[in-house]
Amino acid sequence: MISRQTASIRKSAAFLGEKTFRLAMVMCLVCAMSFVLVQNSPVDPVRAYIGADANQIGTEQRTLIAERWGLDRPPAERFIRWAGQIVRGNLGTSMIFNEPVASVIGKRFIVSLGLMAAAWVLSGILGFALGIISGVWHRRAVSKIIDLYCFVLASAPVFWIAIILLVFFSVMLQWTPVSGSTPPGIPAGEITLAQRLHHMLLPCASLSVISIAGVALHTKKKTVEIMQSDYILYARARGESAFGIVLRHVLRNSLLPAISLHFSSLNEIFGGSVLVEQVFGYPGLGKATVDAGIRGDVPLLLGITIFTTIFIFFGNAAADYLYTVIDPRMRHMEKINEY
Amino acid sequence: MNIRLVSLPNPRQKSAASITACLILLCSLFILNAMIDETGLGTDLGRRYLAPGHGSILGTDWLGRDMFTRITKGLCMSFHIGIMSAIGSSLIAVIMGLAAAVFGKKVDAIVALLIDAFLSVPHIVLLILVSFTLGGGFKGIVIAVCVSHWSRLARIIRAEILQLKGSDYIMMSYRLGRSRRWIMAHHMLPHVSSQFLIGLILMFPHAILHAAGLSFLGFGMTPDRPCIGVLLSESMRHISTGYWWLALFPGAALVALVKIFDVIGENASRMLNPRTKQE
Amino acid sequence: MLKRFISMLILSFILLCGCGPAQTIKPGDLVLAIGGESAEGYDPTMGWGRYGHPLFHSTLLKLDENLNTINDLAVSHTVSNGGLVWTVRIRDNVLFSNGDPLTADDVAYTYNTAAQSGGKADLAMLKEAAAVGPNRIRFTLKYPYIGFIGKLRTLGIVPANIHRTGRNYARNPVGSGPYKFVSWTEGQQLIVEANPYYYGMKPSIKRMIFLFMDEDTSFAAAKAGRVHVVALPPILGKQKIPGMTVHPVRSVDNRGIMFPCVPDTGKKTPEGYSIGNNVTSDIAIRKAINYTVDRRLLAATVLEGFGEPAWGIVDNLPWDEPSIRIKDNDPATARKILKDGGWVDTDGDGIVEKNGTRAEFTLLYYSNDSVRQNLSLACADMGKKIGIKINVAGKSSDEILRLNHSCAVLYGYGSHSPEEMYNLFHGKFAGIEQLNAGFYRNPTVDRYLDKAMSSSTVEESNRYWKLAQWDGKTGMSVRGDAAWAWLVNLTHVYFISDTLDVGASMIEPHGHGWPITANIEKWRFTK
Repeated sequence: MISRQTASIRKSAAFLGEKTFRLAMVMCLVCAMSFVLVQNSPVDPVRAYIGADANQIGTEQRTLIAERWGLDRPPAERFIRWAGQIVRGNLGTSMIFNEPVASVIGKRFIVSLGLMAAAWVLSGILGFALGIISGVWHRRAVSKIIDLYCFVLASAPVFWIAIILLVFFSVMLQWTPVSGSTPPGIPAGEITLAQRLHHMLLPCASLSVISIAGVALHTKKKTVEIMQSDYILYARARGESAFGIVLRHVLRNSLLPAISLHFSSLNEIFGGSVLVEQVFGYPGLGKATVDAGIRGDVPLLLGITIFTTIFIFFGNAAADYLYTVIDPRMRHMEKINEY
Repeated sequence: MNIRLVSLPNPRQKSAASITACLILLCSLFILNAMIDETGLGTDLGRRYLAPGHGSILGTDWLGRDMFTRITKGLCMSFHIGIMSAIGSSLIAVIMGLAAAVFGKKVDAIVALLIDAFLSVPHIVLLILVSFTLGGGFKGIVIAVCVSHWSRLARIIRAEILQLKGSDYIMMSYRLGRSRRWIMAHHMLPHVSSQFLIGLILMFPHAILHAAGLSFLGFGMTPDRPCIGVLLSESMRHISTGYWWLALFPGAALVALVKIFDVIGENASRMLNPRTKQE
Repeated sequence: MLKRFISMLILSFILLCGCGPAQTIKPGDLVLAIGGESAEGYDPTMGWGRYGHPLFHSTLLKLDENLNTINDLAVSHTVSNGGLVWTVRIRDNVLFSNGDPLTADDVAYTYNTAAQSGGKADLAMLKEAAAVGPNRIRFTLKYPYIGFIGKLRTLGIVPANIHRTGRNYARNPVGSGPYKFVSWTEGQQLIVEANPYYYGMKPSIKRMIFLFMDEDTSFAAAKAGRVHVVALPPILGKQKIPGMTVHPVRSVDNRGIMFPCVPDTGKKTPEGYSIGNNVTSDIAIRKAINYTVDRRLLAATVLEGFGEPAWGIVDNLPWDEPSIRIKDNDPATARKILKDGGWVDTDGDGIVEKNGTRAEFTLLYYSNDSVRQNLSLACADMGKKIGIKINVAGKSSDEILRLNHSCAVLYGYGSHSPEEMYNLFHGKFAGIEQLNAGFYRNPTVDRYLDKAMSSSTVEESNRYWKLAQWDGKTGMSVRGDAAWAWLVNLTHVYFISDTLDVGASMIEPHGHGWPITANIEKWRFTK
């Protein structure tokens, strides 16, 4: 017993060590690549900073601005300086917000995290439940309805769903707010949880609607496989109820793969949140990403790239870890089924 | 989907029928596109905000442009972007996957690292970064989608070939004195080609959706050329004034196009995949 | 178990939906949706309030409703030493909103910091500001620059002791303006309250909430009765909003066509962009377009009536030369100008030629701006009537910066400071991005502009600003070189709640929204 425990701890430690090394390598590569990318952009950072005031700001001031952001230095020197700062945990200063990039990301990530976590949990639970239902009772009407839902929505653009929900619930029925994450007129400290949830409702729904389909389809496939297996036939023959079978066999066998798949969908959820935040004017990290790209805020864009890469890397690592936990053989099968 | 079709007498025929139906739908889009001239794209201030059915099938926008024309042209634009970027990224994927499997450990390690890196950067961030570098436009979108989508397929192809390398008949072939290159050309490529084709078709929906999303955010196409993402982002300005048709139809059309490729891809993979094609 | 869970989820959803928006705006609060968020915060030394009226801060001078410069913090100012030294005396007993006194040291600190910060407040002309007494400040300039008076009107004074600590001043501003900062939810709203220590007229409205939303959302909020003041695009100006009345405000927010004024000789800028256009460099073409366009029609159709003809870049401002107005919508005169200039239709295709060059050029506009697109299309139609073919194309701002030395561009400008005219028409700025993009150069105009800029008094400079437009023989305006074809000045559209009186609004600059707050201390509820 004890030796088995230590073996599994050792295995986990090895996994952790390998992943940490991997993360360090990936981060070096991502930093270098993204720096090269933004350096070669045709967007001139000084001009992007000045924005609409181009005619009000003379040439001397432009030189001063370039000096302030270190833009008068050669790219190699800038990279070394930037990378040196990154190692010390300093991501630089955002040009749009005139605030340290880390604090810009921190503030906005909290907002997005609430939204993404709610959507992630909601879509996971609903998707899994729908998948089980349509798998256990497949070929019945309920399964057909769920299939149709997944068929239509698995590949609908999330921002379109968001717009349609906005038109219907906010503009026509006026049940939900049109934009923002907090109600107008209340200082940040006095906003209640109910008000926040009310503002999160529609963005969260649009984000979940899409990811539900993925989880549901995957779970259904698994469930049908399990339901047709010999040991379920045996259990049925023994007179177990459908509910008991689901509880004892199906849930146990299909939950972990579903969670694992759901972890690796963090990438898509984050992508969806960028689009959804744009539709609902929800001031999270996604909106900051778009602003940084459109208005040429290079430090912020790089900071967000680094931050979100770490975030997604952990999601992928969690998925990988669960694969190894489930079954070494499954690992290969899952990958084949992924597409 | 999978299960429903298994119950039918001949799944292969059924798949072939689905694919044919989808191809016919696609062709009709092109025929339609060729039949419609560009006059609907011009502004006509006398015909603004026409609701669907009132002298225009899908209505007109705030400049009097015909939405039916714009959506048809926009779909074709999406199709072009999709096909270019799907081919591009599948090619990158195959080259990377093959290189990793064939050129030894060092190359394999580099490719594995690249795959890891590209899988870890969120798609949307990578898309924004690349189109920021290229300054947007058609070229920008296609390259951005290529760069961000190859990694998943490359991982599958690499795994497939690694598995293949360990298989008996390759080992045998190697022991019989065949060169690496010969084995690659005669055993591996044919094996990988079906994976490539399925990967290519299944890449389509992703490519189209991501391209539309990128345009929606303002990084892609300029508004003077119709493109579904741009149409939807423009519709955002007219939601509370009640012009719902500007938002509803472009999105629905895009879903239909994506769905066509989903169905083609699913059925093609069922027919081509070595594991299920005997079903 | 599962079913119970799902039903619980559904129940909680229904509960959440049912609770509806809570009543959060107190009576007496004013809610505005006029945009104007400053993403980088509210620090004047970084550029906040560079269009005037920084709300939290007060400035040394300010503009009144008729755009005359009057004192605010200052009680007097003098210019000496050939325009190099400016001395300002400020009021006694002014307090910041935290109760600290405002002294000459604070003023000097604000100016010196802004000059070095590398932000959007351009104080490149300032050598040094120094307190020379408890309420007297001496500004020494690097060169005579009358535009400095614009800085005195726009740079808000910060408390040196708080700002110096660097503790995120931009997100917790303290100033001596009519309102003080309460809270800011970035990307969403700004809440302000009347400053109890304000030395000027006490505002009647005690608390204001600025909502930051896009135009469509603002319109929805106005229709739902949730805002008192909303800024809308002209296209929505004809809409009816219950409980609100449209409030049109005149502006110098102009739109006009910039022409490359030099021929294409194959020369390129240091960045490698081509310079010059062989059609628009001919003065006959530029003048003919100026005479043939129907500005009134453009304002009536494209702007839905929310606009008026524009003749120059500074219409109706104190430095506007009135005689530059011409009779437009006059194709006969335009054709005569073309003919006299040697442009004749020899091949009968409806387009005139001169020495084998067809009168055909490209007009660019920002592709995301539908007003500019429509103006461009309408001008192309008007040009066609007199045999000039204008090809219209929408481009991104980056692309336009690469093409604006060789193609005509539909730009929009308009400022409360004549500096803009200096930057757009002076020969020394030729080819610097979009400043003098068309390489316009007229030594006489340059001389007038220089004289205006180095004047010691505003009155003297205004005389030269006017001469630069038209001195009876030459000038930048349509009567002289016709470097641009100005088309329209927008009328900014606001909807104001019927319970609110906002007084008379001043002529607004480029940028729709925030300028309406210029006289905010005079606003009051009538019901």
